[in-house]
Amino acid sequence: MTIGIGGAGSKIAAKLDSQAVLVNVSETELNKVPGGARRILASVHAAHGQFRGSRKNPQIGHDAYQSVRRELLELVRGNMVFCSSGGGTGNGIATGLLQDLSKVGDINTADKTFFGIILPYAKLESNEFVNNTIEFLTGPLAEAIDSGNTGNIVLFNNKKKFEEKISEDRYNQLLVDSLKLFLSIPDKNDVYRLLDGHIDHEDFALFISKPYFNHFTFLDYDPVKPFGEQLDANSNPLLLEPEAAIEALFLLEVPRGGDPTIFYNILQYFSEKNVSPIYSVVENPDRQKPFLTVAQLYSRKPAELVDDFNRITEQHVQAKVKKSLDQNVVLHKLDVNMEQEARRAVKQRGDTEDVLATLRRLGKL
Amino acid sequence: MPQSSQDSSKLFDEQVSRLHELHYLVLFWAAQGEGRGCKYNITNCFDDLKHAGVTRTKQTAVAAIEGLATLCFIDIRDERNRKNIYITKYGAKALEALVMSNQFQPKPSAFLEEQ
Repeated sequence: MTIGIGGAGSKIAAKLDSQAVLVNVSETELNKVPGGARRILASVHAAHGQFRGSRKNPQIGHDAYQSVRRELLELVRGNMVFCSSGGGTGNGIATGLLQDLSKVGDINTADKTFFGIILPYAKLESNEFVNNTIEFLTGPLAEAIDSGNTGNIVLFNNKKKFEEKISEDRYNQLLVDSLKLFLSIPDKNDVYRLLDGHIDHEDFALFISKPYFNHFTFLDYDPVKPFGEQLDANSNPLLLEPEAAIEALFLLEVPRGGDPTIFYNILQYFSEKNVSPIYSVVENPDRQKPFLTVAQLYSRKPAELVDDFNRITEQHVQAKVKKSLDQNVVLHKLDVNMEQEARRAVKQRGDTEDVLATLRRLGKL
Repeated sequence: MPQSSQDSSKLFDEQVSRLHELHYLVLFWAAQGEGRGCKYNITNCFDDLKHAGVTRTKQTAVAAIEGLATLCFIDIRDERNRKNIYITKYGAKALEALVMSNQFQPKPSAFLEEQ
């Protein structure tokens, strides 16, 4: 099951899973999202009904979390949660959720929650989104990673959406398609003829239950070129750039009659990085060229995470800060006595004005 | 008996010719004060005349002011316990004549400078 929290998280969850549970603090927002099987309205104790969102304020989402806490903690067990880190609802409710998950004792592998977090694009999105994200990365997310009580965390990045001017719906579809391709790995092992290795549903579930960041990507694999170069050139543009892998998983799909031994180069590459990947090679008759799905698990400290997030647009953020500082001009209170000012102006004129001109001005000549 | 305009002009010239420097200065400062929107009163005028070194006595100053008022060159109005001086249109003509004749040079009014 998939759980979508807040506007952004709900849209992705509903696209990914027709049985998704959608959570929001606003009835209006909740009803805007098509699809999904169930909707949960988190209570914000508003006097005039709950038709407003959390207005980019994570505290509103965090307060509302208390009303759905017990239910959500039960629902997220062994499931996937999607939320954004920039807004108020996704950030606020996920903060509560991550804090609670961090506090409970060891969670069984099968009960770990896979998190998909949508990060804003700092260059073009509002400062509130950026600040909320930095607080989220360094606070509840870091705490949850340290506790080891989450599953994989996928950090989606809105960069491509803004740089390539993609509509939100189309971009969400790209995210979902990308996720579905990654999540289809064990199914492909079931469906296609196995040529080497094996990733069954249990292996895959174990992999995605590990408390690391997951960067998955896809590429048309060319066995002649060095694998490292191909991997670097094909990192998933929808996700934050990965760091050195701790663990890896790959599925190589070769065309009918293709060479099943080309995967050894990939193993060799990971071996040099001291990583022993889980892998499988299958024959997919629909493929014309070898196609590779790779997932790398990596770890980041909170400060490094923020660096990763900022690195994309560090210069731009600095320029933004400088601009706001430049604009922060202190306006001194002008203590002007208008009568004195008028007199001063008249005196100034009188000093230079000829007395006869004065008399003419006064209508006396 | 009604006067002809020629007689009036002659009388005006006669009146102007009898004015002294202190009369000129009183007219000048009164005009300047009015131009600046300041109330210029008899006390200010005496102080200025004394400061300009034209007279040292209040009686002289008052006599000059009263003389100008008698000739209708200035109006003296009692305002908030002050006798303020206002140049009349007739006085303006007299001042114009004095300025044009270049007979006297203007001196700064200490009172108006401070405003």
